[in-house]
Amino acid sequence: MTRPVIELEHVTKHYRAGGGVDDVSLEVAAGDVFGFLGPNGAGKTTTIRLMLDLIRPDSGRISIFGLDPRADGIAVRRRLGYVPGDLVLYERLTVRELLSHFSYLRGGLPWGEIEELTERFDLELDRPIGALSKGNRQKVALVQALMGRPDLLVLDEPTSGLDPLVQRQVHEALREAASAGRTVFLSSHFLAEVEQVADRVGMIRAGRLTAVERVADLRSKSVHLVEVRVAGRLDAERFRQLPGVTSLDVVGQTVHLRIAGPLDPLVRELAHHDLEDLSIREPDLEEVFLEHFGATAPTEPRREAPTHAP
Amino acid sequence: MHHERRAVMLHSVFERAFHEQMRALAGWAIGIAVYCLLMVSVYPTIRDNTSITKLVDSYPKAFRQMFAIYDFGSGPGYLRGEIFSLVGPLLVVILAVLWGSDLIAGEEERGTIDILLANPVSRRRLCLEKWAAMTLGVAGVSAVFAVVLLAVGPAAELHVGVDPLIAATLATALLGIMFGTTALAISAGTGRRGLARGVTAALAVAAYLVSSLSGLVGWLGPVRPASPWYHALGVDPLANGLSWHPLVLVALTLALLVLSVTAFERRDLAVS
Ligand SMILES: Nc1ncnc2c1ncn2[C@@H]1O[C@H](COP(=O)(O)OP(=O)(O)OP(=O)(O)O)[C@@H](O)[C@H]1O
Ligand SMILES: [Mg+2]
Repeated sequence: MTRPVIELEHVTKHYRAGGGVDDVSLEVAAGDVFGFLGPNGAGKTTTIRLMLDLIRPDSGRISIFGLDPRADGIAVRRRLGYVPGDLVLYERLTVRELLSHFSYLRGGLPWGEIEELTERFDLELDRPIGALSKGNRQKVALVQALMGRPDLLVLDEPTSGLDPLVQRQVHEALREAASAGRTVFLSSHFLAEVEQVADRVGMIRAGRLTAVERVADLRSKSVHLVEVRVAGRLDAERFRQLPGVTSLDVVGQTVHLRIAGPLDPLVRELAHHDLEDLSIREPDLEEVFLEHFGATAPTEPRREAPTHAP
Repeated sequence: MHHERRAVMLHSVFERAFHEQMRALAGWAIGIAVYCLLMVSVYPTIRDNTSITKLVDSYPKAFRQMFAIYDFGSGPGYLRGEIFSLVGPLLVVILAVLWGSDLIAGEEERGTIDILLANPVSRRRLCLEKWAAMTLGVAGVSAVFAVVLLAVGPAAELHVGVDPLIAATLATALLGIMFGTTALAISAGTGRRGLARGVTAALAVAAYLVSSLSGLVGWLGPVRPASPWYHALGVDPLANGLSWHPLVLVALTLALLVLSVTAFERRDLAVS
């Protein structure tokens, strides 16, 4: 069995002013795309900065590639690409100057490969970074993380500030990296994003890791949301009695219900009714997330709101 | 066929530290050159004007001692009073402290340190390369004193030797570098630029006062060897030439550099 690329064991870090992370343990296996999900101030950036040895844990152990990020920082970071959460770049350098500087610091990377990336993300090399839009700066950060094809990508909200088209480009690049066997640690507020690219997802809230699940399991655990409009007499009680129904709401002739587990009993029941309209949909991760976290879900608006039946 | 545009590539941290300060350094160098030229250009008038030299002689002793203005009638005396006692080293110290405090803490306060240190670069190397850039830059700007004064000295009949001039310039540079490294040590240890600037400025003022007033205030005498300013310019290199005194500054600087690296390696970056 190969050792996980990222291992955190009971990692705790408290800031003097309050906040931080508490007893976080997680593992990310080689080749996995790990989505790290949490609302503002949950501790995502803190966890990532601990992995990079920018800050040190109060207690607990961190190992990346089986190495100590503090004692073997150079060896760890040689194989790691990083996009910071609070991105600030050298405003007065041009894109070319920044990328050549970082390439040199990584021992000199083939320039042709770097140019391929800037072309792919449509970046002009000779513009000063200070003159770039927020989205284009974010792209510069991505390019410097991807260049040299590091074994591990640690990306702290890499798509914030990007338009949907470029977000898709980024997701594509991440999937490519993953299929080339590289490991990705991706933090995000966006459930849709994590759902699209991650294999596993960890949820952090108020400094505590509350769940780590396979994305596929998370979905199957979840309920289905059913909306049914019937003609004629409506006996809501019959729906309420069905196994797995967790909530039910009647508005006029329409029943809204959440049902966990097999849908078979529901379908049988529906056969007794005169249906005018029916919609059954799988909840997206956001709803699963809401279920996990109750009211304190991320503040970001959902990007791809599911279409409701008319 | 069209030609490849010449790509501007940037490499080490050392190189970037320079690149970022290039314009500022040129500004300081020009400012210092202009100041020296102005001072030298009025020298013949002052020397030949007995009412000015008499006026200067009539200043209270404490005042003259504090600003090292005595003997305006000779070139070295004039340079000491007008350039090397206060204004010259002050300019160099200001440049060095502004830069030294910004090397690490500036990147932290602006927020660029995260992405920089995600590269396989050790904190030690970052600190040393940045310090080297500051040291070389401050030395280069200080060299303007020697270069300008040596160039125009003969025409202005300064009658100042090469050795004393180089000794005074070297002392000025080493003093600046020492205070720049002090600012680096404080900011590398705390991540706070403002604090480093404030504390270093206070130390520099104290060092200056101890050095310039110790001849006047009896009880300051024994404290004098503790003042870096004394070892730089208090020993009057324009009159005495090279001595072992600047080695004190070198030793202090190296100790502060070790402290900078150690403090920087130990702490959390950009936290409040
Ligand atoms: N550098 C810092 N200094 C002091 N406190 C900090 C620092 N960084 C984070 N904190 C505190 O630690 C907690 C976790 O913050 P963190 O930035 O890790 O959250 P996050 O999940 O990245 O949030 P966001 O989604 O807003 O980026 C917050 O309470 C925050 O105020
Ligand atoms: Mg964050």
